[in-house]
Amino acid sequence: MITLTPLRNFDVPVHASCINPDEFKSKTLKEIAELPVTEGNRNLTLSDLFKIEQDKTETPSITLNGDFKKVKRVGQGMKTGEIIINGNAGMHTGERMAGGKIVINGNADSWTGSEMKAGTIEIHGDAGDYLASPYRGSGTGVKGGYIIVDGSVGNEVGCYLKGGVIKIKGNAGIFLGYHMTDGAIYVEKQCSSRTGAAMTGGKIILAGTVTELMPSFTIDSIKPKVKVDATQSVAGPFYVFLGDLADHGTGKLFVSKTNNPQLAFYEKYL
Amino acid sequence: MAEILVKNGFVVDPTNKIDGEKMDIAIKDGKIVKKVNERKAKIIDASGLTVMAGGVDIHSHIAGAEVNMGRLIRPEDHYKDAVRKTKLTRSGTGYSIPSTFVTGYRYSTMGYTTVMNGSFAPLKAKHVHEELNDIPLLDKGTYPLLGDWWFVLENLAKGDIEECARHVAWMMQSTKGYAIKVVNPGGLESWGFGHNVHSIDDQVPNFCITPREIVRGLIKVDKMLNLPHTIHLHTNNLGQPGNYKTTLDTMRAIEDLSTDGKPVAHITHIQFASFAGDDWGKFRSGADEISKYINAHNHITLDMGQVIFTDTTTMTADGPFEYTLYTLSGHKWVNSDVETEASGGIIPFTYKKNNAVNAIQWSIGLEIALLVKDPWKIFMTTDHPNGGPFMSYPRVLAWLMSKKAREATLKRCHKKAQKKSLLPSIDRELSLYELAIVTRAGTAKALGMPNKGHLGVGADGDVAIFNINPETTDIAKKYKAVRKAFKESVYTIKDGKIVAKDGEVVDNTTPGRTMWVDVKTKQPCIINEEMKRKFREYWSIEYENYPVSDHYVKVSDKLTVEASV
Amino acid sequence: MTEFKSVVCPICGCLCDDLEITVENNEIVKMKNGCAVCEAKMVYGYKSEERILKPMIRKDGKLVPVTMDEAIHKAAQILVDAKYPLLYGWSSSTNEAQRIGVELAEELGSTLDNCASICHGPSVMATQEIGIPTATLGQIRHRADLIVYWACNPWTSHPRHVERYTAFTEGRFEKSEWKNYMLKLKGETGKKKIEAASKRLGQYSPPPRPQVCMVDAPPKSIQKMGRKMIVVDVRKTKTAEAADYFLQVEPNKDYEIFSALRCLVNDQELDIDKVGGVPVDYLKDVADAMINCEFGAIFFGLGLTQSLGRFRNIEVAIALTRDLNRRTKFVISPMRGHFNVTGANIVFAWQTGYPYAIDFSQGYPQYNPGEFTINDLLRRGDNDATLVISSDPGAHFPKSSMQNMMKHPLITINPDMNAISRLGDVVFPAQWCGIEYSGTAYRMDSVPIPLKKVVEPPPGILNDQELLERILNEVRAIKAQKTEVQTKVKGEVRSAAKTVKKTAKRTKRKVA
Ligand code: SF4
Ligand SMILES: [Zn+2]
Repeated sequence: MITLTPLRNFDVPVHASCINPDEFKSKTLKEIAELPVTEGNRNLTLSDLFKIEQDKTETPSITLNGDFKKVKRVGQGMKTGEIIINGNAGMHTGERMAGGKIVINGNADSWTGSEMKAGTIEIHGDAGDYLASPYRGSGTGVKGGYIIVDGSVGNEVGCYLKGGVIKIKGNAGIFLGYHMTDGAIYVEKQCSSRTGAAMTGGKIILAGTVTELMPSFTIDSIKPKVKVDATQSVAGPFYVFLGDLADHGTGKLFVSKTNNPQLAFYEKYL
Repeated sequence: MAEILVKNGFVVDPTNKIDGEKMDIAIKDGKIVKKVNERKAKIIDASGLTVMAGGVDIHSHIAGAEVNMGRLIRPEDHYKDAVRKTKLTRSGTGYSIPSTFVTGYRYSTMGYTTVMNGSFAPLKAKHVHEELNDIPLLDKGTYPLLGDWWFVLENLAKGDIEECARHVAWMMQSTKGYAIKVVNPGGLESWGFGHNVHSIDDQVPNFCITPREIVRGLIKVDKMLNLPHTIHLHTNNLGQPGNYKTTLDTMRAIEDLSTDGKPVAHITHIQFASFAGDDWGKFRSGADEISKYINAHNHITLDMGQVIFTDTTTMTADGPFEYTLYTLSGHKWVNSDVETEASGGIIPFTYKKNNAVNAIQWSIGLEIALLVKDPWKIFMTTDHPNGGPFMSYPRVLAWLMSKKAREATLKRCHKKAQKKSLLPSIDRELSLYELAIVTRAGTAKALGMPNKGHLGVGADGDVAIFNINPETTDIAKKYKAVRKAFKESVYTIKDGKIVAKDGEVVDNTTPGRTMWVDVKTKQPCIINEEMKRKFREYWSIEYENYPVSDHYVKVSDKLTVEASV
Repeated sequence: MTEFKSVVCPICGCLCDDLEITVENNEIVKMKNGCAVCEAKMVYGYKSEERILKPMIRKDGKLVPVTMDEAIHKAAQILVDAKYPLLYGWSSSTNEAQRIGVELAEELGSTLDNCASICHGPSVMATQEIGIPTATLGQIRHRADLIVYWACNPWTSHPRHVERYTAFTEGRFEKSEWKNYMLKLKGETGKKKIEAASKRLGQYSPPPRPQVCMVDAPPKSIQKMGRKMIVVDVRKTKTAEAADYFLQVEPNKDYEIFSALRCLVNDQELDIDKVGGVPVDYLKDVADAMINCEFGAIFFGLGLTQSLGRFRNIEVAIALTRDLNRRTKFVISPMRGHFNVTGANIVFAWQTGYPYAIDFSQGYPQYNPGEFTINDLLRRGDNDATLVISSDPGAHFPKSSMQNMMKHPLITINPDMNAISRLGDVVFPAQWCGIEYSGTAYRMDSVPIPLKKVVEPPPGILNDQELLERILNEVRAIKAQKTEVQTKVKGEVRSAAKTVKKTAKRTKRKVA
């Protein structure tokens, strides 16, 4: 295991896509120390910014101790191994990840798990905007993998989701599951408006309250319970909505009946 | 300026009928000369290498409002192809629509020295020139869209060809353009209200004119003005199944306009205009019909518009065509109408081997290029970036020169395409000599550029040296090596300076010239107050602010021609 | 006295190019054709007493005048020393200056952002998500019979937009609605006069103002042939008064309304009967008007880009426009504010591939609004030096963001002492673009228009392009010096090491 600890507080962003188990795997400690990073526009090496230590433990492969909020792209594109971040994580953590695991014992900044294909990300604090959402202009969302957030998430989470599961134990912002085509998103507490806008497939499960529903969803049925994934199903009852009609979509939106009495008027269409 | 002597290379120069002779090429003051002082000159030892003139691309969308809109809407495309700044070169981004500097570098490292920009709307002419200024290492020119310009439609409908010619001359000067571009004649005006024309005899709404009349009229104008290039034509119904008939109709409609056996029109990206079959399901190649016609006639030149299997961005002034593409693909769609002149559209597009239509398209481009017997009639393009980015030219060259290369690709294509393709029945493999024609000699000739595309004394000092030894390599068999050789020239010399070496830019001080045509009509277009009022009515900017002043052309290369009107 | 014709107004995105200007003793004394906003700047504003006439540097907390060379050196030094500078502004500069700006950012490895970031950046982002069917303004003037202004008020923000490009213009296929509007206006003023008179006579009590937003039903006239104008906004504006139909919507409900309209245009039924305070039946009428027109055009403003949902609002508006093209011809266009903010996007895009929110720290351009946009950079306090050119961002950001900016050196380039220049550490004067120097700007519909120079600038002041070129050269000079020193130091270290080794060897030998 390699342990990295920042040598000081960073005031400008640090770009460190080399912090990646696949990169470290077959390298000596000296080689790791010389991996390139940037602090702002300055080209430096890993050891210029972090204290690097090695011990014999196998998992996790990398431990990051301290505040990594300004450190971008940790674990980008990783395929194997495990990273534990004991502190906050910066933007684009685990972007395009294709396997392995990242555990964040703190908050995650925006674009965490962006365009990931497989693997697991556990966030024990809150997550920012664009969790599991693609890069600008791209319609290629997350294809698979598993993301679990203990806290709340920001806006536009799970955009263009194509596969995989996102579980959020806290609240979610607007445009959750925007334009998703497949996969599942589960929110335990409150969810803001425009949920599932432009979605054409997949499912979103809202067990808590919802601020407002898109006008372009139509009620389909009431279900007693719903399956999130192979390991979990949630007891309802749930209103089941279909949408987004504006895009001729058939995505499913499950909304807790008990927590959302304001939606009772939809029942007359059943 | 330094003198250069390229020694002992195998020179391939079709214009001067030189086919692989071992010769020296001398360059001085930016021009090819008989000889230079060997002791003073920089000597390039080209033994074992092939020496050609710098490449001349006849149709590639590298600059202007439409191209830049394509850049702007595709961050996800640039993301995967970032280009670092170096000591000599600027940074930028690539893939399907590289940023301006990167465009210059990438063309140059492939041995190209001249690139003609496929089209631009005259109202946005300043934009295209501002971008051309930022494309280094290349000579450039650009074609104004004139086929649906109201002044043209009105004058032609009135039958006043001379007045039309005077306006076109004015436009050519005002926009600093090189050739008359006609895109889906009549279709762009119709698209103003969301319609299109579907044959060359359809009426253009509100204008009492047909595509046939527009094309014929502008060919006459082109001749009256003595422009160096013929009209540059993108035919009606482009990209629609069965359109090869429209293309044949168009070609037949202008047969009689060629008097001296010379071409009167260049039909661009012919692949997109050679579709047979009644609908997408019955889609097949019209290459046979088109090439037969071309083989029997001399009034048309073509370029391929070859499709590459890759992720790219389509863009054309043909607004209705791009809309059709949108309805087929559902991708992000840009439409950009330009008042009184043109329209335009953009759709990102991925050509896939396992898509029957795409694979047949790929086959069509190659079929025509191989079935047309005379290489001086059809040139190599991908209609960058419509068929694929220009960086894939070496792949196209490999398919042209090697049956083996074609087979290797075809066998991975959709079954339907494999069954329908004519390629297995075609044995032709282009020689280096023929490749030089379709990439430089032929294009330069069609463009009316006597100083380009060849290595005769007096030609521009634009030379490309490739790592191909024609004595020891069978290019058809060793197509992979040759493909690599065309990807990175050993040397690219522009205006007598070595600008690129082994795929890297080594001298970035040559901005390249902008070539444009200054047509002197006997009687100039009269711009009086009445005319200015009309301008104000037609456009939303003032007459005075319309023309492209000299300020917009960094290095101006003006070609003055005397018109016969 | 000199007369200039076809002068371009360097103020808003309309870039009206028909001004007639009279100059006397190097001063503009008269202006014809421009609007009131234009007159205020062209005839009076540019001569402001707040004009900066000399470069200044902050010494001991006070701005003191210095020579141009000193200021340029100081600015360059700040930029080279910074690890992550930000270059921001550009919307009131020429393309020619913006080009140099990109080069400077690249040389520095800095972030580069323009004012689109705080106005129509979301429109650009939406275009990247979904594309955009649009047209030049002349096309709309010639053909549009339905004009929709959504969340914008051209009457005050783009005063000549309606008269030059849309409802009140004569096109080839559509006629001006000006006369009808005048009639309507007369009717209204007549009514007001009667009201006022009756009030005076004490016979009339005006009807009570409705407290909640009451949406009027669409009038029959929006289905008629010929030109009609619809305004959608959260409050009744001057533009709304001129419209055939004003649709008042609840704030932050635009996304929902567009979605509902899309459903209706795509022949879907809605479960609910009111969206954003508007009865669905009204929306059906609006959808019908949109489908039945010959050529429709939507213009939208900051009310969409800066309200809840931001770029997704534009995305759904574009999606509606796109869907409408299955039924008729429809285009959509942002009402770009500053006269050359469009140009900044265009120039950045051709040089880097990206329109704004660019980062060069890795040696190549990276793009990501939300990461490299000024408000996000400032909020997180990422930068350690800032250069602001031809803009006044002070007003747009929260205090904490401004404090983050003020922690580090600030360089400003502006013609007059605006709020941001007052805060600068190096303060450059500048020429008024389009008045004192010429160049190119792009209209809101991306049409390039040449700006004119009509008066001479005050002596000694450089234009943006010249100034940036000089800063760039100075930056290169300082960097070259630095590397020279570095290689020298390295060389010395190496030779020192050698001597050490040598002596070591010698000592060894001695010992031996
Ligand atoms: S509308 Fe805008 S550009 Fe036109 S005159 Fe007024 S301020 Fe100037
Ligand atoms: Zn083309």
